[in-house]
Amino acid sequence: MTVCTRMRGHLGLALLLLLSAAVESNSMSPPGKPVLLGCRSPEKETFTCWWEPGSDGGLKTTHRLFYERERLEGKHECPDYRSAGRNSCFFDRDHTSIWVDYHLTVVASNELGNTTSDIFKMDVMEIVKPNTPENVTLLVMKREDNLYLHVRWEPPYNTDTKSGWVTIKYELRVKQEKSNEWKEYTSGTETHINLYNINPGTLYAVQVRCRLDHGSWSEWSNSTSVNTPDYPHNEKLFWILVSMLSAVPFITAMCILVMKRKNVKQYLLPPVPGPKIRGVDVQLLKRGRSEDVINALIINQSFPPMVAWKDQIEEYLIVSDDGLLLDPSSSQKRKKSLIIPAGFHLDLGIQCKEPTPVQRDLQKAEERKNEMDNFVKANTSLTEGNLSDMEPPQPPTQKQLFPIASFVKTTDQSPSKHNSAAENTVKPLANCGYVDIQRHENAKEVDVIEVDYSRVKEVSGDNILILQRGNIPGYMDIQRQKENIPEDYSRVKEVDGDNKVLLQRQNASTDSSCREKGNHYTDCTNQKLRNPHVTGPSKVGVCTELIGSGYVDTIPAPPLM
Amino acid sequence: MEAKWTKRMKKRTRKRSDDQQIRSKRKAMAHRRTSGSKLLMTVLYMVASCSAVPISDLLDRASQGSDKLHSLSTTLTQVLDSHFPPIGRVITPRPSTCHTSSLHTPNDKAQALQVSESDLLSLARSLLAAWVDPLVVLSASVNTLPHPAQSSISNKIQELQQHSKSLGDGLDIISGKMGPAAQAISTLPYRGGNDIGQDKISKLINFHFLMSCFRRDSHKIDSFLKVLRCRAAKMQPEMC
Repeated sequence: MTVCTRMRGHLGLALLLLLSAAVESNSMSPPGKPVLLGCRSPEKETFTCWWEPGSDGGLKTTHRLFYERERLEGKHECPDYRSAGRNSCFFDRDHTSIWVDYHLTVVASNELGNTTSDIFKMDVMEIVKPNTPENVTLLVMKREDNLYLHVRWEPPYNTDTKSGWVTIKYELRVKQEKSNEWKEYTSGTETHINLYNINPGTLYAVQVRCRLDHGSWSEWSNSTSVNTPDYPHNEKLFWILVSMLSAVPFITAMCILVMKRKNVKQYLLPPVPGPKIRGVDVQLLKRGRSEDVINALIINQSFPPMVAWKDQIEEYLIVSDDGLLLDPSSSQKRKKSLIIPAGFHLDLGIQCKEPTPVQRDLQKAEERKNEMDNFVKANTSLTEGNLSDMEPPQPPTQKQLFPIASFVKTTDQSPSKHNSAAENTVKPLANCGYVDIQRHENAKEVDVIEVDYSRVKEVSGDNILILQRGNIPGYMDIQRQKENIPEDYSRVKEVDGDNKVLLQRQNASTDSSCREKGNHYTDCTNQKLRNPHVTGPSKVGVCTELIGSGYVDTIPAPPLM
Repeated sequence: MEAKWTKRMKKRTRKRSDDQQIRSKRKAMAHRRTSGSKLLMTVLYMVASCSAVPISDLLDRASQGSDKLHSLSTTLTQVLDSHFPPIGRVITPRPSTCHTSSLHTPNDKAQALQVSESDLLSLARSLLAAWVDPLVVLSASVNTLPHPAQSSISNKIQELQQHSKSLGDGLDIISGKMGPAAQAISTLPYRGGNDIGQDKISKLINFHFLMSCFRRDSHKIDSFLKVLRCRAAKMQPEMC
């Protein structure tokens, strides 16, 4: 029996369970347990709590919130179920206290029963979460060619900023158009901020949030965007245009300069004139033809005509026994004619002195090629064999040796002969007779050797010649005289012996015809010697008729005498 | 006549020179005086300016300190919450049992704004003074705290102590400026003893409870000081 009752009890329980299940499945039940989701205080003055109701059990269920608070007796109900929406409870300022704990419960009730939620413990201090900042404005500003973003906002709605009850701290984040990364900045308590590192030509988005004291952060505000302008690009274009335009004239100027560089060079760097000597042609010098150069260099210089003495080659006398000796070869060489003055006294008895200097002179004379053929010839002719060797004339006791030497003409006869003649001079020197004396010591501008002859008056002894003083017309070498040298022919007055010729004194008179060059003294003589016997001042050119002596050319003494 | 005239002239010149001398002397003296007085004035001004730091600046500095204090306590409680036994939420003591709860403080904005500045400062100072001892206990017991972030907690406790000390000193200076009413401090003795618990869980729970009390009190201090700052800087709305 007991087993049956037990079984009946179990069955009854099972039936009850089934019934309750059936009842439940018919959605008629007490409400489910609501759940308090949380509370939030936006400004530390009010707060709101929300709950989640449980199942309503098929019946109309109501929810009520009850709270207990520290330092407050009793259980109180939510003062405001509506303001915050459904399933919420709004605690206004009068019902909000801070730094006190709240114990909240929600009771769901319907006809079938009540259900109470768990206790939710909270302090207002912990649930502070402000609203989002308001009126976020974004501006692109420019300062000294720098772009920056100016972000400005307002404090969240209903938040006290005047009493210091709350201290709001802000935070913002910025995002460029293309990227997904936000860059965050802390603003502190300021409600504006300037962002400087921005790029032109992009879209920027900005969001702001805030926090009270050290509570929770608010939600981000709605994104505000702005486009930054593209200024530098425009500026770049502008400058590119400007540079292009300015480059064109520049290039043309350069082209012109390059094409006309020679002209430019001349204009800028004119050639420096070189030194110039008047009368000198540089080109001429460079080419280097000597005659032209010399002609160019020499300016109107007139030299005296060459060698007047050349024109006045006297005819020379060749005196010989055999007659006139024409020595054509010698005549060619002859440059100088022998002139024997009228007062010439050929005394062949005079011994020549000092053969050695004479010898030297002879050699010198050789070198000089001055020929005194006439004299030599004369000597030879006079001495008749003794004159085979050329006797140098005896040097005068007086003056110059050299002039005599010049007269010591070497003919074309061999020098050896001369030398030999020199050796043998002692003897035949006795026969040589003319003496050269330079009479005229006055400056007569004698280029050439002044030669004077004195008449030998007398020979005393071997060495001494006594010369006649007087107006012996010494003769000058023709070379020095430009003027017409009067030529005179002296008549041979007398011939004494073998060696002596006495000449007649004559006046100076010119006979130009006698100055013929060359050998044609015969011409001269022809002209003059018409009157061989004319005495006196008339000119007589004794030529060929002289016996043992040719005619003697005389040059009368210059007027200075 | 001439003699007279010359005499007069002489007198005049003498007088003139005398006058000039006197004038120059006076000038020198005046100059010295003015320079001396100027110097004195500048010295006084400097002294006055150096000593007369405006109270708003002091309060600003103090509120910065209290802000720092509160942030430290907040992070500490969050750290402790991360490793908190679920049962602790059940058996944790009620905040009314904080040792500072006996102090009557304003509980909302309206009340807080009605409190006078000196009272506010006194409250702040009292609260701050009440936590000197508990912080010592906490710093002593943090070494044995069975918490994974025990070292960072230990550092933070030390920081808390330092900031609390410096803030207390600053508030003393401010109270000196605000008058005798601000000087009164309510003593709130800590009666928790020298250790916070024997076993792990009680240690954790007690630690957590104390920190939550401290967090509340630091928030109170911070709020009061910021209200005071705003009130002191009437010409500077950005302080509020």
